[in-house]
Amino acid sequence: MPVTFTFGEMLSARSVIGSTLAELGADYDNLWVLTPDIGATLVEFRDTYPERFLDVGLAEQACVGIAAGLAYDGNIPVVSGMLPFLSMRALEQIRTDVCYPNLPVKIIGTHGGLVGNGGSTHYAVEDLALMCALTNMTVTSIGDPLMVGEIIRQSMTMQGPIYIRLAVGKKDMVLYEPGQHKVRIGKGIIAREGTDATIFTHGTTVAQALQAAEEIAKDGRSVRVVDMFTLKPIDEELILRCAEETDGRFVVLEDHLAYGGLASRIADVLADRGVCLTAFERLGIPQVYAGFGEDEQLRDKHGYGLKDTIAATRRVLAAS
Amino acid sequence: MGRTPLAGTEQRHSVQELEDLAFELRQKLLHLCGTYEGAVHIGGDLSAADIFTALFHYGLNVDPSDIANPERDRFVLSKGHAAVCMYIAMAMRGFFSYEGIVQTYGQLDSAYGMHPCKVQLPGVECSTGSLGHGLPLAVGMALSARHRGDDHRVVCLLGDGETGEGSVWEAVMAARSNRLGNLVAFVDRNRQLMTSFAEERVSFEPYPDKWRAFGWNVVEIDGHDMSQLVAAIDALPDTDSDTPTVVIAETVKGKGVDFMERNLAWHAGSLGAEDLERALAALAASREKETV
Repeated sequence: MPVTFTFGEMLSARSVIGSTLAELGADYDNLWVLTPDIGATLVEFRDTYPERFLDVGLAEQACVGIAAGLAYDGNIPVVSGMLPFLSMRALEQIRTDVCYPNLPVKIIGTHGGLVGNGGSTHYAVEDLALMCALTNMTVTSIGDPLMVGEIIRQSMTMQGPIYIRLAVGKKDMVLYEPGQHKVRIGKGIIAREGTDATIFTHGTTVAQALQAAEEIAKDGRSVRVVDMFTLKPIDEELILRCAEETDGRFVVLEDHLAYGGLASRIADVLADRGVCLTAFERLGIPQVYAGFGEDEQLRDKHGYGLKDTIAATRRVLAAS
Repeated sequence: MGRTPLAGTEQRHSVQELEDLAFELRQKLLHLCGTYEGAVHIGGDLSAADIFTALFHYGLNVDPSDIANPERDRFVLSKGHAAVCMYIAMAMRGFFSYEGIVQTYGQLDSAYGMHPCKVQLPGVECSTGSLGHGLPLAVGMALSARHRGDDHRVVCLLGDGETGEGSVWEAVMAARSNRLGNLVAFVDRNRQLMTSFAEERVSFEPYPDKWRAFGWNVVEIDGHDMSQLVAAIDALPDTDSDTPTVVIAETVKGKGVDFMERNLAWHAGSLGAEDLERALAALAASREKETV
């Protein structure tokens, strides 16, 4: 059954992983799904294709290594689980077993960013920096549940590995009307048009950036929001275009360490191309272990909540 | 191994012939170690030389002229630092030219380096080097074979030292849990790490019991006795069985060269021209002693 979406509705993005994979399992008889004991979202695939489903238990490193072994033999393996563990415990397996031979292994997971009350063992806040550092790896971070399915579908024909990051995946806002945007891996989405400044963001904070832009519109200022859901390869053309079209005023907002993620990727592009901005602010997690609390409380505490986003955007708009 | 032999594997070598090949493999290893100025993992190469010989010249159903044949047995070198021993064993089996290895080893743009790279050398099954990675890869390959209904084997060679890595035991559990009787691990049990003798730093014993406790079929042999290696290969269970097998091969690091044997200085190194002659003479003397 196709899943239908309504703009603004809160949905479980992670449920889309399982339903999409179950659907793709029919088209790709070499699609395997592996998990280290996080199978709840994958039940549909497991029940439909039990012979191509493998739960290895609590063993992230073997899970990724086994996936690589399957890929060597011509299969398309998806490893799905919690990203704090997949991205760090199995980092070397991802680098050595998957990226080095450039195998089509997909790492799709939940719990990217400060996702609530888990504590710092359960927050993937360094993951994008780590994944972006890996040669051959494509890195994405998705907030819109509709896009999750679309990106998984597109990734099926990719040669190399891909990392697909969701937030906790239980309650995610539908950001776009179906068909509103052409979604393509490697190309950012202009989620809201604007001319005075750009907020670049990805994943769960896109909704917050849109709210901030809406708020600032009341001041009579026009703020563009770019959903840069692919961090690697980064959409350089769009970054340069935004520098030109939005008066060189950038805010980068992300549920990740403020250094090493999207802000750093964008800063690299600007430095490499010799582009000087009028103003650049990065909003994300400072070098702290974040503690407990609700998602919104944590963002406020660490300076990248809605109020901070509005304030930072006003600062870049006021910069001379 | 009782399955349809690929081209060139119909005629299987005798134990005597395999011993000759193992001797030649060691000679070739020493020559490379004597001509290449950088470090060669000669200690662990020599300990595994008989296992490599038994596999590439007897046990593995492979066809050097058809490296992608889907029916081939897969070989995963988990102890990736023994790559050069694998390259030469494969060269002697007809995969590559030995001269090509010796002339280019470790040089810019060579396909042959310290640890195997599948991208640079398509004849090897996978890229390895970092320890503890091979067995999970082999589990994935064995699962895939099972799923397709193929009856080839997946054989993985590990060093005993690398079984200190937790990922090995994750894979050991996964293999048994998924009843991968088509998977065979060989452990080159030379009892040496890079900087110590194993039991000085890490308690591996009771080593075979650890594998047994994880539900594997355990075979213990002298890894330098070719007849035992051949017997272990001949006795492997059918590939549709439920139990993965580990062949724990007791070996000596540096085997065959007296000044390298059980010598921590010879984990890796290079031989000058003079020491090469000395090493080759030691190898010949060692063989003579064992033949008598």
